[in-house]
Amino acid sequence: MYEKILVTSTGEYLNEVIEHTLDLIHGRPMEVIGLYVADTSAPFLTPSKVKQMMVKELDEKGREVLKNMEQKFQKSNANVKFMPMLVEGDPAEKIVKIAEKENTDVIIMGTGKSKIDKHLLGSVSEKVVHSAPCTILLIRSKHKPLEQIE
Amino acid sequence: MSIFILIGILIVSLIIVIKAADIFVDNLVEVGALLGISQIILGVTAAAIGTSLPEFGSAVIASLSGSVDIGVGTVIGSNIWNIAGILGISAIVAGVIKSDVKGINRDGAITLATAVILIFFMFLGDIGKIAAIVMIAVYVIYLRTLIKAQKEEAKSDKKEVEEKFGLKEDIGEKSGSKLKSIRPKNIIGILIGFAGLVVGCRLLVYSGVGIGEIYNIPEIIMGLFVLAIGTSIPELVVTLSSAMKGLHDLSIGTVLGSNTFNILIGIGVPALILNVPVDPISLYFDAPVMIFVTVLVLLLIKKDMKLTRLNGLILLATYIAYAAIRLFVLG
Repeated sequence: MYEKILVTSTGEYLNEVIEHTLDLIHGRPMEVIGLYVADTSAPFLTPSKVKQMMVKELDEKGREVLKNMEQKFQKSNANVKFMPMLVEGDPAEKIVKIAEKENTDVIIMGTGKSKIDKHLLGSVSEKVVHSAPCTILLIRSKHKPLEQIE
Repeated sequence: MSIFILIGILIVSLIIVIKAADIFVDNLVEVGALLGISQIILGVTAAAIGTSLPEFGSAVIASLSGSVDIGVGTVIGSNIWNIAGILGISAIVAGVIKSDVKGINRDGAITLATAVILIFFMFLGDIGKIAAIVMIAVYVIYLRTLIKAQKEEAKSDKKEVEEKFGLKEDIGEKSGSKLKSIRPKNIIGILIGFAGLVVGCRLLVYSGVGIGEIYNIPEIIMGLFVLAIGTSIPELVVTLSSAMKGLHDLSIGTVLGSNTFNILIGIGVPALILNVPVDPISLYFDAPVMIFVTVLVLLLIKKDMKLTRLNGLILLATYIAYAAIRLFVLG
């Protein structure tokens, strides 16, 4: 049923997302796209050198998250063909666009922000749900969003 | 002049100052790179002064134009606002801002030491040339420590890449061995940035003093609150957006780095040019509050190496209490 999966995380809920993805794959051969979207937008009046630093930091963080994802998938399932993807832009918009472009069968991502966090920070998963071109599996985390960033 | 025109000048001059500082630093870094200065030195320096030039410019211009109180007020007010206001708001919005032991020990210690150095010299009377030299020297030592730490980090990154991929990559220490000629574009950029800073800061101080005169508000109060909060807009946007993106080191580092720069350079350089008088209320209230909020934030972070939303509320409540006492009780 599923042949191509898009797994996305910024480090939040990563362990649970991978755990559920592996359970869904269930040992079958699968193409997994690991996506990290670096939100490089910065408010007006952000000094440009500091913005460059932010982009660099996000890029490094993204590489770490994708490396971590790849190691976990390959360790647990040799049939997974993992493709890391690091892009810059609005997270929800990019996730939907890449799912469309890559023709993925399912998007897997975490969710679990409190009501206060949703109001203050917004929710990427809620935005993706409204415009995703395929099935979505939202992993409800028991942890707070920032607890799992490694 | 009408109050509306003065408020308009204040807002426009703030935008000019912040944008001019950005253009100035950008072009200065490019010229530095073309002259062969290491990327690490340029990066650390640009990050340190990038967000603090507006406070520095205002303090210098205010002192030179005879409004010394507004200059000192801007620096001390910015430091209290940076910690209690900006970190408070950022922790409330982001939910949590994490920190690491190494960073907090180094940057936290220097921020606290800087505040103590300032209050020490304030106790001795006006801040003069000796104090200025000590402050600038401490900043140079701190900058060297930062550069050394950055070099070590770059070295370990390089080693990691070499071990993993067998690549010989020159990370971070690109010193531009091939010297290129400086582009006129950069020189024009530096001049425009500098001119923008001078004109913008002059207008900022002028409008601040003007608004104060209309409402009978002392210059130090205008500096402590209006100019301090206004010139800290770059710190606010950087700290808040990096906290929301999970870039915790950048978030806390911006505030602590800015506070160190504000005192050591923001007061050190004007004191080199002229004696900076000490206002008694600043000595017995504002400066101790600055030390108090610095200790408070370090204690809150040290507990679990992070600032939580509750910690943010404590910090913001502290700022509101300080502002209320300073404005309505002490005047």
